[in-house]
Amino acid sequence: MTVQPVGSRPGGGVQNRSSGGGSLADVIDTILDKGLVIDAYVSVSLIGIEILSIDARIVIASVDTYLRFAEATNRLDLTKSKPGLPDVVAGAMGGGAAPEPPQVEQVEQVKDRSSLEAAGDKLNDFADGREHAVPRQSRQES
Amino acid sequence: MDQSGTYIYGVVPEDIEIDEKAQGVADAPVLSIKHGKIAALVSDIGMTRPLGTPQDLRAHEQLLNATAAEVPVLPIRFGAVLADRDAVIEEFLAPFHDEFVAALSELDGRAQYVIKGRFVEDRVLGEILAENPEAAQLRDDIRALPEDASRDHRIRLGEIINQSIEAKRDADTAAMWDEVEPVSVMAAVRPPSHELDAVHLAVLVENSRQHELEQAVESLGRKWADQVELRLMGPMAPYDFIVSQDQDAE
Repeated sequence: MTVQPVGSRPGGGVQNRSSGGGSLADVIDTILDKGLVIDAYVSVSLIGIEILSIDARIVIASVDTYLRFAEATNRLDLTKSKPGLPDVVAGAMGGGAAPEPPQVEQVEQVKDRSSLEAAGDKLNDFADGREHAVPRQSRQES
Repeated sequence: MDQSGTYIYGVVPEDIEIDEKAQGVADAPVLSIKHGKIAALVSDIGMTRPLGTPQDLRAHEQLLNATAAEVPVLPIRFGAVLADRDAVIEEFLAPFHDEFVAALSELDGRAQYVIKGRFVEDRVLGEILAENPEAAQLRDDIRALPEDASRDHRIRLGEIINQSIEAKRDADTAAMWDEVEPVSVMAAVRPPSHELDAVHLAVLVENSRQHELEQAVESLGRKWADQVELRLMGPMAPYDFIVSQDQDAE
């Protein structure tokens, strides 16, 4: 084992400074996708506990994404959001229009190592109500 | 009799103390199993119960984050269960003792943070329309056409927007990298987890430089004030900076 970045490449005010992790989606990004994989160390396989698991997600653009962006653009009120409009104006309007809350990514579950059943229902409990995301499962660990 | 197993959270130095109130997955008390200079954080878990509810995920994360704020810890990916406590020593701690000791010493006094930024949608769309004449023209065309007839235009507009956001994401990620890299031991770009992600970076930082990291992130955050919603999360366990044997080969 080595201490090194897992895949590294350089490629508004801080809203909230959460101690520890953030939303459940953030948690999922981290603890299901990262960390030591114990099967890499333990030759005797893990005992057969049922693990509800979800895989990492990456964002893959699709026609749905495009149409959604187009729709959002169409709804845009350019008199408010056009850059170049003096910030003073927005300020004078009491902070301007509140932007829509950011949409949180949806979670898609796939079968992972170990026997996975019934992952969907429970995980969907917190994925519900989050729309317009375009997650795709990827990178099945092997 | 219910079968039970031993759930493993992570590996820490041997001489740590566990808060008696620390709770793990399924509200079980957290114990340490010591071997040589290291210890595994574990809890007992019944095998009749599926693992992986939101509560389980949070319990795993919170225990590791609380630990990482105090001592070096090697986090284990969610969901690792061994047959019993003896197996933790015999199959995991003993065979890899020296390797774990070396990694823990490298992580001593350091913790991970994650910086996540998301574009404010209306703002970024407005910018793209202002910067890209084709996009602005398409928007006008779409408004003039009945919905059925504008599908191709809408797809093309969305494609331009998506490409523009990707370019902005790369630029913002590079800007944040330049800002935080000098105060970090290591940094790693994470893949975006949402189509409006502006920045998604993990950094490993000396505990003594946490304040510098906060200042670095905040200085860029002020600059991006209305454009990007920025969050700094941590300290957390160094999930993004440890690589186990088999992962190296990927």
